[in-house]
Amino acid sequence: MGSLRTLLVIALWDLMKLKNQKVFIAMRFAWFTIQILVFARAVSYIVSQVVLQYTGGVEYYYFYILGVYTTLLYSTSIARGYMIADEFDDGIVEYHLSLPIRRNLLAVGRVLGSSISTIIFTIPMMLVVYYVLGVCNVVIVLVSLLSAFVFSMGIVSFVILIVFSMKSTDLTDIVVGAIDSLLVRLSTVFYPLPVIAATGIASYYVAAVLNPISHASDFLRILVFPEYHLIAPYGPVALILYITGFSMGLLILAIEYYEKRLEAGGWR
Amino acid sequence: MGMKGKAIEIVGFTKKFGDFTAVDNLSLDIYENEIFGLLGPNGSGKTTTLLTIATVYKPTSGDIYVFGHSASREDYEVRKLVGIAFQEPKAMWIDKPIDLLNWHARVVGYSGDEAKRVVREVMELLGLWEHRNKYFYQLSGGTRKKVELAKVLIQKPRVAILDEPTAQVDVLSKHALWDVIKKLRDEGTTILIATNDMFEAERVCERIAIIYKGRLRALGTIEELKDSIPRGDVIEIQFDGLLPESLRSELEAYGRFELRSNALTIYVEKGEEKVIDIVDLLKGGGVRVKKIMVKEPSLDDVFTYLTGAKLREE
Ligand SMILES: Nc1ncnc2c1ncn2[C@@H]1O[C@H](COP(=O)(O)OP(=O)(O)O)[C@@H](O)[C@H]1O
Ligand SMILES: [Mg+2]
Repeated sequence: MGSLRTLLVIALWDLMKLKNQKVFIAMRFAWFTIQILVFARAVSYIVSQVVLQYTGGVEYYYFYILGVYTTLLYSTSIARGYMIADEFDDGIVEYHLSLPIRRNLLAVGRVLGSSISTIIFTIPMMLVVYYVLGVCNVVIVLVSLLSAFVFSMGIVSFVILIVFSMKSTDLTDIVVGAIDSLLVRLSTVFYPLPVIAATGIASYYVAAVLNPISHASDFLRILVFPEYHLIAPYGPVALILYITGFSMGLLILAIEYYEKRLEAGGWR
Repeated sequence: MGMKGKAIEIVGFTKKFGDFTAVDNLSLDIYENEIFGLLGPNGSGKTTTLLTIATVYKPTSGDIYVFGHSASREDYEVRKLVGIAFQEPKAMWIDKPIDLLNWHARVVGYSGDEAKRVVREVMELLGLWEHRNKYFYQLSGGTRKKVELAKVLIQKPRVAILDEPTAQVDVLSKHALWDVIKKLRDEGTTILIATNDMFEAERVCERIAIIYKGRLRALGTIEELKDSIPRGDVIEIQFDGLLPESLRSELEAYGRFELRSNALTIYVEKGEEKVIDIVDLLKGGGVRVKKIMVKEPSLDDVFTYLTGAKLREE
């Protein structure tokens, strides 16, 4: 069996699961749309005029909904990674480890499957966002999909690494929960970088500049509103390289883990 | 049997979980194309051994070879030769058998169309087809076990590992599954079964290893194991009340015996004759005898003789 075929078949595992979650997906989509069309407008109304100087001239509403979309990408990736933790509890990992496939392909296949599922799951939301933004440039849509996919691979690898090294869903809940709330807050998804700078808290600023979630949301903003680069810490190429480096680094660590350390035993 | 090559060689295999030794220095060979049974009660280390052959666990020391490939160093080579049906069926509650098995068929190498065909064939053989679109939580324990077995039948590996394949399966289906397992062997697969069911071991296995508390206690064909009880028959006596201490030494004169609450098992020669004397002895000691049985030793008796324990808790 060719490696590519193996990878795709492994990725099918996660896609097959997606099929059973239609209701969940529909509900999330509905909630997201309400958030974008109703609440986001309210937030933006409050802050509308004052922030233009901080957003490089981009209306806060647009800034905000791209941030909301990025957190959605992030939390969906986390949720897909979590499914692997659930599977661990039910012993599915033992089944996967027993299959006639190489462990490195198993690792990449699971990450691919989870991030493809994330993208499929979030495509309707992305289309709503781009509809509201009035974006109809195919290249922009494709490039943002690709960047979302790469970002998702990093987050999924990250969750897999935590799940496997904790070997307990309870611990994973706590660790991911803590990192989760910190990571989203210490980023530019809701607050533009100049606003963060204005707080005068250096560590907040540094965290936001280093945070891959900031890079993911800022990349999408520059893609849609080139003038946004005025306030972004880096240009688009640097941003996407950063995201790619982050994701590939974690993916390589996840592969290492599958190959060298992962053993089903001891999961209790 | 001696002419055949070795399918699995277990060499000084030890597996520890923390300080606890689940399998202790196990060594045995399983020959090509035989049906081999690992017999022992829950907690003996059967599953641990099987999962290590399937490369899911790594040995703490020693190694296991499948057709000459080391499970610890050539895990991928080993996985290409081995298929396993787990003790606990591997599925999430929301999974459907047809999806799981189609995916399994794809992963073990079938193309899309072939996969559909072989999955249907195996599901029909096991009576699973009507359940194909149910959610896993709607299936009975026995049906879940059949879905697990179906994976191995789809895969047709060189070595099939079946962990308590008919546990939770109803008696009628058990016989059908045993035939299916034998047929798989006839088609060229070497089969390793873990079980705590002596009927299953007697019905399907050609050679058996008895393991208990992680150690190998006996190894051989069923006849060899039965012959390993030095005396030919087993007398089982159920009684009321307590067995007086004074009777113990007198009983010992007849042969080795095991006492568990209100049942006495004695290993003797010419059981039919001795049973009369033994019953007299018990009555003389004031023991009220309720039920007497004289029988050929079963694998259960062999196990009890070797370990002093029972295969299954009553
Ligand atoms: N992953 C594990 N971590 C800790 N202990 C384990 C683990 N797996 C099995 N054990 C222990 O090892 C012993 C043997 O278990 P197992 O191989 O499942 O026995 P069997 O299959 O014969 O019932 C048991 O005492 C069990 O509790
Ligand atoms: Mg077991």
